[in-house]
Amino acid sequence: MSDTFLYLVQQLINGLTIGSTYALIAIGYTMVYGIIGMINFAHGEIYMIGSYITFIVIAGLLGMGMVSLPLILFIALVIAVLIASTYGWTVERVAYRPLRGTNRLIPLISAIGMSIFLQNYVVLSQGSRDIALPPQITGGWTFGDPNLFEVSFSYMQLFIWVATFVSMLVLTLFISRSRMGRACRACSEDIGMTNLLGVDTNRVIAMTFIIGAALAAIAGLLLSLYYGVVNPFIGFIAGLKAFTAAVLGGIGSIPGAMLGGLILGVTEALTAAYFPSEYKDVVSFGLLILILLFRPSGLLGKPEVEKV
Amino acid sequence: MKKFTRTLLSVGTAICLYGAAANADTLKIALAGPSTGPVAQYGDMQKIGVFAAIEQINKAGGINGMQLEGVVYDDACDPKQAVAVANKIVNDGIHHVVGHLCSSSTEPASDIYEEEGILMITAASTSPSITEKGHQMIFRTIGLDSMQGPFAGQYIINNVKPKNMAIIHDKQQYGEGLATAVKNEVEANGITPVMFEGVTSGDKDFSALIAKLKMNNVDFVYYGGYHPELGLILRQAKAKGLDAKFMGPEGVGNPDISKIAGEASEGLLVTLPQSFEKNPANQAIVQAIIDKGEDPSGPFVFPAYSAIQVMTAAMTATGSTDTEKLAEYIHANTFKTTTGELAYDEKGDLKQFSFVVYDWHADGTKTPAQ
Repeated sequence: MSDTFLYLVQQLINGLTIGSTYALIAIGYTMVYGIIGMINFAHGEIYMIGSYITFIVIAGLLGMGMVSLPLILFIALVIAVLIASTYGWTVERVAYRPLRGTNRLIPLISAIGMSIFLQNYVVLSQGSRDIALPPQITGGWTFGDPNLFEVSFSYMQLFIWVATFVSMLVLTLFISRSRMGRACRACSEDIGMTNLLGVDTNRVIAMTFIIGAALAAIAGLLLSLYYGVVNPFIGFIAGLKAFTAAVLGGIGSIPGAMLGGLILGVTEALTAAYFPSEYKDVVSFGLLILILLFRPSGLLGKPEVEKV
Repeated sequence: MKKFTRTLLSVGTAICLYGAAANADTLKIALAGPSTGPVAQYGDMQKIGVFAAIEQINKAGGINGMQLEGVVYDDACDPKQAVAVANKIVNDGIHHVVGHLCSSSTEPASDIYEEEGILMITAASTSPSITEKGHQMIFRTIGLDSMQGPFAGQYIINNVKPKNMAIIHDKQQYGEGLATAVKNEVEANGITPVMFEGVTSGDKDFSALIAKLKMNNVDFVYYGGYHPELGLILRQAKAKGLDAKFMGPEGVGNPDISKIAGEASEGLLVTLPQSFEKNPANQAIVQAIIDKGEDPSGPFVFPAYSAIQVMTAAMTATGSTDTEKLAEYIHANTFKTTTGELAYDEKGDLKQFSFVVYDWHADGTKTPAQ
C-alpha cells in the first residue's frame, strides 16, 4: 500500500467521524422541517446544552470516585438525553406552539431569539470560557507502514461510529414500525388531514422535538468526549454545519440528513487533505450551492408539491 | 407637608450638586478588552494590572489632586463590538483608554479614538498596522509582531533547526501577521516551510490538518493565534501520534492551554514578554496583587500596569489631562515603568521591547528555554 492511499484512508476515517455527528444533529432539523415546515434555529444550542450536561455529569461522577467508564458514560448519556429532551420540548411549547398557524417567518424569528437566549443563558450560568475534560476513551489501532504513513483509528472514533449507527437504526425502526412513527409520517404528508383523522398532532410535533433533542444530546456527548472542550458558542457552528447537511441531503428526509452529514464531513476532510485547509468551508458550501442548483430539493428530498 | 416636600427636594438637589462636585475630582480611565468570550483571560490580565496601578496611585494621593477610577468595557475581542465600545466611551465622556487587547479589535477602535482626540494605550495589541496610519493618540506598551516574529524565527533557525517546518495560523490579524513574519524570517535564512495554512478560529476538529502534518513528516510547527485552537491541535496531535514540536506566541501562553491540552502542552515553546513579575524591583506590586487573590504572572499584567504609569507620568509632567498635550509629551519622552524604560517613536510604538522563549509545562507553568 502506498503512502498516498494510506493518507486517503486516514482522511476518510476522519471525515466519516465528523460527518456522522453532523448527521445526528441534522436529523433534528430535518424532522422538524418535515412535519411543520419550519427551521428550528435553536437546535444547535440544544446540542451545546447536551455537551455541557455531559461534562458536568462526567466531572461530577469522576469527582465522586466512580471508576467504571462504561457506567459513567451510560449515566451521562441518560441524563444528557433526558435534560436536553426537556429543553427541546420546552422550546417548542414556549416559543413555537403559540405561533403555530401564523406567517412562516414569525416562528423563524422566534427560533433565532430562542437560540440567542439559550446561548446567553449558558454564558451567564456557566461562564464563557472553554471548559476542558481530560481524555476518557484513549488508545486505538494503527496500521500501515510506520516508515511511510501510519493510519490511526482510535477507540473514540469507533465509539462515535457505533453510537451513531445504533441511534440511526433505532430511529429508523421507530419511524417505520411504531404507532408514533406512523403518526409522524402521516403528519409530514398532510398535517391537517392527520388531525382530522383523530391524531393528536400537537403530541406528534412535541415528540419530534424530543427525538431531535435526544439525538443532538447524543452528538453533544460524543463530540465533547472526542474534543474534550466545550464553550457556549459551539452550538452555532455545529448547528450551521448540521443545517447544511440537512439541506444537502434534502430537508425533510431522514435518510437524506444521514447522507448529507456524511458527505459534508468527508468533503471537509478531503478538502483539508488536498488543498490548504482554509478552503475547507469554501469547498463544502460551494458543493452545497452546486447541488441545490441542479437538485433544488437536495439529494434525497422530494420536490415540493403545491398543496391545493 | 408641602413645605416638608420642598425641603426634601432642595436637600436632594444639594446632594446632587455635591455629587457632581465630587466627580470633578476623579478622573475616569476606560479599560477596553474582552471580559467575556473565549479569550476573556487576557481581559482579566489587563484588569489586574490596571487596577493595581490605579490603587497605588490613588493611595499616593492621585494625579494632580484627582483620584483615578477604572471603568471596564467589554468588547469580547469582537471587532464589531469594539467599535460599539469605542463609541460608548466617547459618549460617556472618557478621554483616556487602556486597551483594546485583540489587534483586530484595537484597529477599528483606534480610528475612533484618534478622530475624537482620545488617548489610547494598548498593553497587548501587537499588530504593526495599528500604528501605521499616522495616528497621534495611539500608543502601546508591548512589542510588535514585526519584532516578535523575527525573534521567534531566529530562535527556530539557531536552536530548533527543524527538518520539515510547518506554519499554521488562525486567519486573524494577529495570528496571520505573526505567522507571516516568522515565515519571512526563516525563508530569508534558508528554511522553506513545507506548509503554510490557516485554520478557522472556533473550529474544533483538526484531524484532517494533523493527518496532513504527519503525511508531510513535519517535525516542527509554528502556530500564530490563540490558545483555544492550539490547545485542541496539541491534544489531537498527541492522540494521533504526531511527533512534532510546537511553538506559539504570547497569545497561547496562559495556563488554560494546559487545561485544554493536558500532557500534550508539555514542551511547547512560547515567545513571551519577559516575566516582569520575577523582576526584584516589582515585588511590592506582585505582593499587592497576590494579596488581592489575583494572579500577577499573566503576560499582559505588567504592560497594562505600565500603560497607566506612562499615562499618569505624562499627566503629572504636563500638569494637565488634555490629551493632545499628553500625546505630545509621550512621543518626546522616556518613561521609567515596571516593564523597563519605555521610549516611543513617532508612530507611538516602543523603540525597543524584548521577548523571551519559554518552555511550557503540563501544569501550566513555564521555564526559560535553553
